[in-house]
Amino acid sequence: MRGTILRGSLSGGLEVRLDIGENIEEVKVGTFCVVEGRTHDFFSMVVDEDIEAANPKAFYETLSDNSLLNEVVRGTGIIDKVKIQPMIAIRREDGRVQPVKSIPSYLSRVREAREEDVFKIFGRPDRTHFHVGSPLDMDHIPVCIDLKKFIERSNGIFGKSGTGKTFYTRIMLCGMIKSGLCNVLVFDMHSEYGWEGEDEDETRKKAKGLKQLFGSKVAIFTLDPESSRNRGVHPDFVVEIPYRSIEAEDIVMVREELNLNPTALEVIYVLQKHLGQDWLITFLNMDAFAIEEFAERTGAHAGALQALQRKLFKLQKLPFIKENPADDAVERIMQYLDSGMNVVLEFGHQRSMLAYMLVANILTRRIHELYVKRSERALGGMQGNNTPLVIVIEEAHKFLSPELSRQTIFGMIAREMRKYNVTLLVVDQRPSGIDPEVLSQLGTKIVALLTEEKDIESVLCGVNNARMLRNVLASLDTKQQAIIMGHAVPMPVVIKTRTYDETFYKEITRDEDGAFSRGPMAGHKQAFGSPAGNYGVDELPPGKEFEDLMKELYGI
Amino acid sequence: MHTLIGEIIESRTAEFVAEAVRYDQVPAYGSFVRVMDGELRVYGIVSGAYTGSLDGMSKAKAFFKSIDELKMEQPQIFELLRTEFSCVVVGYAQDGRYHPYYPPIHLSLHLPVEKADDDEILTISQHLGFLEKTLNSPAGNGEELTAAAIRMAARFHPDPREYIVRAGRELLKMLNYDTQRLKSILERVDIA
Repeated sequence: MRGTILRGSLSGGLEVRLDIGENIEEVKVGTFCVVEGRTHDFFSMVVDEDIEAANPKAFYETLSDNSLLNEVVRGTGIIDKVKIQPMIAIRREDGRVQPVKSIPSYLSRVREAREEDVFKIFGRPDRTHFHVGSPLDMDHIPVCIDLKKFIERSNGIFGKSGTGKTFYTRIMLCGMIKSGLCNVLVFDMHSEYGWEGEDEDETRKKAKGLKQLFGSKVAIFTLDPESSRNRGVHPDFVVEIPYRSIEAEDIVMVREELNLNPTALEVIYVLQKHLGQDWLITFLNMDAFAIEEFAERTGAHAGALQALQRKLFKLQKLPFIKENPADDAVERIMQYLDSGMNVVLEFGHQRSMLAYMLVANILTRRIHELYVKRSERALGGMQGNNTPLVIVIEEAHKFLSPELSRQTIFGMIAREMRKYNVTLLVVDQRPSGIDPEVLSQLGTKIVALLTEEKDIESVLCGVNNARMLRNVLASLDTKQQAIIMGHAVPMPVVIKTRTYDETFYKEITRDEDGAFSRGPMAGHKQAFGSPAGNYGVDELPPGKEFEDLMKELYGI
Repeated sequence: MHTLIGEIIESRTAEFVAEAVRYDQVPAYGSFVRVMDGELRVYGIVSGAYTGSLDGMSKAKAFFKSIDELKMEQPQIFELLRTEFSCVVVGYAQDGRYHPYYPPIHLSLHLPVEKADDDEILTISQHLGFLEKTLNSPAGNGEELTAAAIRMAARFHPDPREYIVRAGRELLKMLNYDTQRLKSILERVDIA
């Protein structure tokens, strides 16, 4: 794409007249281009295209029968016009990157971005700059996300279902784990991040999970050990939730799932007040007589109590909620996180929203508390280790809906940002269901195709030049294309995301010095040349460290 | 080897009129001519021609015979004819450099008019500014003359079609993006 600046404004974007001979059909919305002004280079994105006639009469004359005339008029009388939005400016003299505060002068030349431009803006891949994809039509040039900035704030990955959100999440998780800048805790609703996930690509079928790629850096926790075993996964820990850790606020969060009315919620607070920490199990164990007695004692309505009890019986059906669990899951998670590991919590068959929200909320609340204490200690100079934690939640609109986001721990984390070193990575397909206040607090958004007007509007909330990006968002491909905007990238950019395949595995498991981080296993795999993802029962799965194997084989 | 085709008998800044060497030898409409005036080589494009009686007063008489018969029977009448052609001035060269605008002084009378050489035509027609002069030709036949000039010039370019397209684009701007007028001109340019 080549052209010259025709007209424009700072607020409305710039119009570029394509050079004669350029094919507008080849210029895609979202293309990354550079305007070479007199003193500044303006890095811009194509946001719209149209055809304009210098003299509108030209449109209405039959030109098609005269090829010579057509050729003359095309590009002169009728021009192909591309609308671009400058996103960032670099002063050529000293290379200083600045926000756009002026526009390039008339007739400035416009060209497609080149490799060095991409590097100038997004940096070269290194430990903290993670290669997530490449600009449109620039397949081999890496666009990097600044991971340091990424984990500073809560982030979001959005897109219609089937647009590859899980893959983008996996890629970002890999980047974060590899960088070692933070620990991650994944609430893995569909059990697709830990060991392996489905790949829609026929030739690959299975996508490797984090454990396969990072071995001892990742621990798999499960709520459903049977499901994990059936899938050939050896979990590091089976999570059980004690009744006493369920608080009124957890029940409030799942009120829809339990079908509770506002009265019932008030009753819960009464119960908690009178029965203390063990309120739930005590209440569930009450018979009709005990309920009536309780009602009399507290002035609550016996009928309401009974109705509530019936509804709360649903919780008893969740097998992972135990009266006296053998081990404290939160403590274990913290242990793993403290030792620098990353935790994936698989839900197995417990993938109801009720289970997911309940567990995520309970665990996150306590973990957050611990992090708050830790941060305070770190502030006081008492503790050195204060690695940030990124918590990944799916179906985020359930947790962060406008009604709930003020009350739940997730809303709080999203709002308080990095203060306590805990941030969220929310994955969702209906961003419009998320509290706008939370959405606007998200630092970086990775957005795949969205078609719903409301969803587009909500992901663009809090973004500069949102109006301009609308077209771009609606015209993304359904696969492997996303727009990244926000804190971790200097300017919004449309990328073709990396393919999650063997090449990616190799690169992500390689140390900075070029050696494979899990040398022996990788060597083993290569030596036998076994095809990817096709390991026999007896063959060692890749990525298992010696300790893991010992644990599996001998239970030590 | 220069081919003399006429002599200037009337001169203005923007155009000149020359008398053809012979009454029946006129340069083609829209063709490029050259006049050497001291150090200057002034170029023009033939914008019209006229044949009439030598004295300019009397009129030729119709004989209703073929030209060959007339030449046999009345050879003297041809001696009484003269042809004039007019040219629009498009530019001049001095010290080997071409300037696509009027020379500082209009041409003197009685200077010989010659056909321009091929490479001169190539140079002149590269500067599409001549189109503006043909378009606004004083004779009022701007579109026709422009078409003829493009037709003539295109032949000297390695890719005539590309040249016509380039000229057409320039022309469209001069015509204030009036595609209808451009169409009517280009229809007269069409080369095989």
